[in-house]
Amino acid sequence: MDPVRLLMVEVVEGVGVFLALLTFAIVINKALREVGEALDRHRRTLIEPAVFEYLGAASSRPQRDALPRSSSRRDRRLVEEFLLEAARVVKGETRDRVTAAFEALGSVREAIRALHSRRWWKRAEAAERLGLMRSRTAVAPLVALMSDPEAEVRIRAARALGLVRGSTSIRPLVSALADPSRWSAIRVAEILINVGVEAVDELLVAYETLPLNARVSALDVLGRIRSLRAVGLMKQCLSDAHPDIRARAAHGLGLIGDPGTAPDLIRALRDTEWPPRAMAAKSLGRLRDPAAIGPLRESMRDRQWWVRYNSGEALRALGPEGLEALIDMLSSDDPYARHMAVAQLEEGRVIDHFVADLTSNDAGKRAAAIRFVDKVTAAARIDDTTRQAARSAQEGVRHALSNILKTPSPAPASSPGKGDGGRS
Amino acid sequence: MAEQARILIADGDAPVRRFVAALLVHGGYEVHEAADGESALQKAVSLAPRLLVLDIVLPGKDGFEVINSLKSNPATSRLPILVLSVKDREEDVVKALDLGAEDYVIKPFSPRELQARIRKILERSR
Repeated sequence: MDPVRLLMVEVVEGVGVFLALLTFAIVINKALREVGEALDRHRRTLIEPAVFEYLGAASSRPQRDALPRSSSRRDRRLVEEFLLEAARVVKGETRDRVTAAFEALGSVREAIRALHSRRWWKRAEAAERLGLMRSRTAVAPLVALMSDPEAEVRIRAARALGLVRGSTSIRPLVSALADPSRWSAIRVAEILINVGVEAVDELLVAYETLPLNARVSALDVLGRIRSLRAVGLMKQCLSDAHPDIRARAAHGLGLIGDPGTAPDLIRALRDTEWPPRAMAAKSLGRLRDPAAIGPLRESMRDRQWWVRYNSGEALRALGPEGLEALIDMLSSDDPYARHMAVAQLEEGRVIDHFVADLTSNDAGKRAAAIRFVDKVTAAARIDDTTRQAARSAQEGVRHALSNILKTPSPAPASSPGKGDGGRS
Repeated sequence: MAEQARILIADGDAPVRRFVAALLVHGGYEVHEAADGESALQKAVSLAPRLLVLDIVLPGKDGFEVINSLKSNPATSRLPILVLSVKDREEDVVKALDLGAEDYVIKPFSPRELQARIRKILERSR
């Protein structure tokens, strides 16, 4: 046979054998995997009842005796997998028993060993597992891992510490708020927020020692945790030298919602800087203290748009009395306050309500609606009302509005530009 | 008997679903699983379970939509629903109950408490 042809036949044969072996290997691999999965399922059905017996047991029987006794690696892996599933969703006494089981099985020791792996993803995975295991013995190694050169590993260690809880694990998280070069403060803050009330004491103790940016983050975290224990610090911070601190404290007090802080927030409406004033107005809307209506009305005349906006929104949140104040602001001598009042009444759909009354059968309601639309017209911000006059679904409303808009009431006595210098 | 009752679990998180299923099987129930809102709706009709344990965060239709659909369908309107969700905001709990859920349990939960609540719902719906 021609040697070239012979070579080609051998090549084809070789490729054929290779492909056949590859196919065989794939089939065997798939079969083994399926057999392995079936075996896992079978073993799991045998293991689960024993683990549930252990998790639900009220006795002080030694954990090692209560857990399934098996020396096979498969069973140990399945028990660990099942406990990790449980660790995600259970709480209380059952959760403590899950942690004790991980310790008894040696899973915690093994995961701590894996924290020293040369591969960063193995370190990250081990940190995550330790977070779910919640063993106190993992705190020191996890704190050490917070200096890992890999950012993802550091953040997983931080999350794990947040899950383990306890003061020794929370303290390094609070310190991490102060190191923006190595941490995203937002991510650390989120972890501390998830820790919840258990983080409050550590934050309060560490607060004075933190740099400015971390103090701002700490106030944010305390506000979001909504612990009344933070109220004293927040009130004190309303007098801080730095406006960011004052603003964050005002915001936090609104989130916490202690009605006793309304007088402090009302005072903060007169802050020399606009961010604390804006945050104080927003928080007063959350507290819903009727005593804030007068000061909020005054803040509707503020030089800064955000303060006016938050004040208007707060009045709207204060219910009928707040809405009454907003309607009253339509006659203000300050055009910016009038415009914000219209905007808030639009957002609160109060204008829609009055416009619908223009065709009411009740003469009193009709007259009130006309007086109201007159006020809106006089406030010189009638874009939305003009749109309603053109597009309202009801012909009667379109007609009534058009008539009022054609003959607007005279504007309030003051000139529109009065006191406007420097307003945003 | 309540112990023989058929329960459908709809949860998008596979490990959580597996754990809750195992817990209920251990409690003596016949358990079926659904991984998304659409299959939860289908199985609620085809399997006619005595109880649906439903998460709010589901792929496709969320838990609120599932409750809404089930309650507006005469074939499933009487199916008791226990919401088991990580969503712990007051408005989510109120919304689920207003839509017609029988009970709301927040994750993480106590397995014993969940079993007790399920037992109570099944007794009431008997």
